[in-house]
Amino acid sequence: MRKLLAITKREFRAAAANKTFIIMTILGPFLILAITILPGLLSSNPSVMGGGKPLAVTTQQPVVQAALEQAFGQQNIQLVTPASEQEGKDRVVSGDYVGYLSVPAAWPQQGAVYYSSSGTEANMFGTASGVLSAIATRLRIQEAGIPADQIEQLLAEPGFQLIRLGAGMQEEEKSENDFLGLLFTALGFVMLIYMTVLLYGQLIGRSVVQEKTMKTVEIMLSSVSARQLMFGKILGLGLAGILQYAVWVGMAGLVINFFGPALNVSLPAAVSMGNMFWLVLFFLLAFFIYAAGYAALGSAAEDEHHLGQLAWPLLIFLMIPMVLISPMVMNPGSPLVVVLSFFPMTSPIVMLVRLLVSSPAWWELALCIGLLLLTIYGLSVMAAKIFRTGILMTGKRYTFKEILRWAARR
Amino acid sequence: MIEVKKVVKQYDSVLAVDKISFTANSGEIFGLIGPNGAGKTTTIRMIMNIIAPDSGQILIDGHPMRESDKARIGYLPEERGLYKKMKVGELLAFLSEIKGGDRKACAERADKWLTRFGIYDWKERKVDELSKGMAQKVQFIGTVAHDPQVLLFDEPFSGLDPLSQDLLLQAFLDLKRQGKTILFSTHIMDHAEKICERILLINKSREVISGSLAEVKSRHGTPAVRIEYDGNAGFVAKLPFVKSVREFPRALEVELASVDDTDSLYSALAGKLKVRRFELLEPSLHSIFIRLVGTDKEGSTNA
Repeated sequence: MRKLLAITKREFRAAAANKTFIIMTILGPFLILAITILPGLLSSNPSVMGGGKPLAVTTQQPVVQAALEQAFGQQNIQLVTPASEQEGKDRVVSGDYVGYLSVPAAWPQQGAVYYSSSGTEANMFGTASGVLSAIATRLRIQEAGIPADQIEQLLAEPGFQLIRLGAGMQEEEKSENDFLGLLFTALGFVMLIYMTVLLYGQLIGRSVVQEKTMKTVEIMLSSVSARQLMFGKILGLGLAGILQYAVWVGMAGLVINFFGPALNVSLPAAVSMGNMFWLVLFFLLAFFIYAAGYAALGSAAEDEHHLGQLAWPLLIFLMIPMVLISPMVMNPGSPLVVVLSFFPMTSPIVMLVRLLVSSPAWWELALCIGLLLLTIYGLSVMAAKIFRTGILMTGKRYTFKEILRWAARR
Repeated sequence: MIEVKKVVKQYDSVLAVDKISFTANSGEIFGLIGPNGAGKTTTIRMIMNIIAPDSGQILIDGHPMRESDKARIGYLPEERGLYKKMKVGELLAFLSEIKGGDRKACAERADKWLTRFGIYDWKERKVDELSKGMAQKVQFIGTVAHDPQVLLFDEPFSGLDPLSQDLLLQAFLDLKRQGKTILFSTHIMDHAEKICERILLINKSREVISGSLAEVKSRHGTPAVRIEYDGNAGFVAKLPFVKSVREFPRALEVELASVDDTDSLYSALAGKLKVRRFELLEPSLHSIFIRLVGTDKEGSTNA
């Protein structure tokens, strides 16, 4: 026990007492924020993307001008009128304008044109085309001789509400914003687990390979058993991971409870302490599954390059939920998602997403966690066997088949 | 005490160790000698239970090695390796910790050894700042700091300068005086000759000779004479009682058929060479090694 503790302590310090770890721990949440939430925020708030550049508009119809001003005003985008059509185009090219919307005098009989230097600012011409088609519809109905009050009636938007049903049938009203918040939270959590599990898995694999390449393995095995060495490594790095998550959850807790209310910014509602609990739990489960896998492969690999080649099956299993993230959020009850939320190599991430966006039954959760624990046990036993045989093997590259044969031994 | 009984180890197609037997007693320095690739490291790894023998038996103090015995054994592997990012002091404390040694006593012993080897000032430095020789000394200290009763050293002298080799030889003799069982392997015969009581010479996985150094020498040594001279000594090799001649610039080492031939040799030289020195040589382990193993393997003369 003292030996295991000593190894755990050493591995923990090797992983946590360095600058990379500290920087990752502090900057991690910001990075996650940057790659998940920012792109969404930016594309829904084009004035940031456009760098405050105005949109050039020429139109002879005051109705159109007014409607555009109102729509773009909400997005903090200024409208300007260029002196001529040519100047409008020129200054789009020179980068003074985000784009140039030219509405001809004969509009709506003759179509409007949006000039852009990239053609990709979907939000800009999306807004423009939305505004124009609403006005055009109204104008055409007017021209058909329908009275004004009837037009209002025709064009009135019907009500639409989004309600999420919890397991206890309690109704919870959601707005479209809540849905976006949920999507980004799910994306953030999935990215967090994916990145940390990959990082720690590879750290463990590398740490095992390094015992061989740094030739420390013989000294270690002359003092401790192979099993103590492997479990010490996994526990040490696991502790580093828990520390990292504790810091992150703590930071989120501070933002939710103190800084958020004080500075009047809020995280998406889905970043609740309850969901944080699931995040940490599923991180740990995913961590131990992949740690055992990487430890086994690390002991079979000749060097770090070889480890990279051997690790592809683990990578694929980790990638599956990443690729399916959007269908999973849109349709958490589909049979594929349900199956993936029980399959142990993908279930930690998939079940977490299901928990965030829907309400899986308690027995589903129990089954998922039970299967995970069983697999972790089985995989550790297998990994320990591969480790015992493989840790001393050097100078030859083993194939998957040979490695699996070691695992099958007595 | 280490007892190795008829141990065999076969790697895929190579027979690495073939029925090797020997006993290393407490308070004794036992030398496992042989050319590179003879099976020394494999034998030591089997004693350490790092690899399992295919057949045969290995006993430590009368019983097969148990996990708990690891605390009583110090092992310096041939493949030297230390955790590079750790400080020397931390690393030594860690190595004692996983041996289950008493913290304070181990730390004191480690400090004593660091001072003895003149590297105490490096205690707070990281391992990867050490020179190769210093790292080796640190590794040696890591092997002995928990005060093990049984010590196994695989090629302990390789990579050390002559000064450090002497320090290590002295350390071995001190440990022996404390009653430790010491087993070490080497292909440098001078080291074995300086400190071993008993040796086992293996070549191509098999035992060649074993026994106390004195026995081995009297049994396998042949009388030899060293002559330093001026003149042309080409005729010496052709003399009937001369078995072999090793030539050096202006000196010869002549191996004779029997001790009685020294007089004949001396007479034969008279008048033909200007002899400046004529010395009876004790048979060296080196010459026995070369004669029995046949070829002078690289490294065997770089003592």
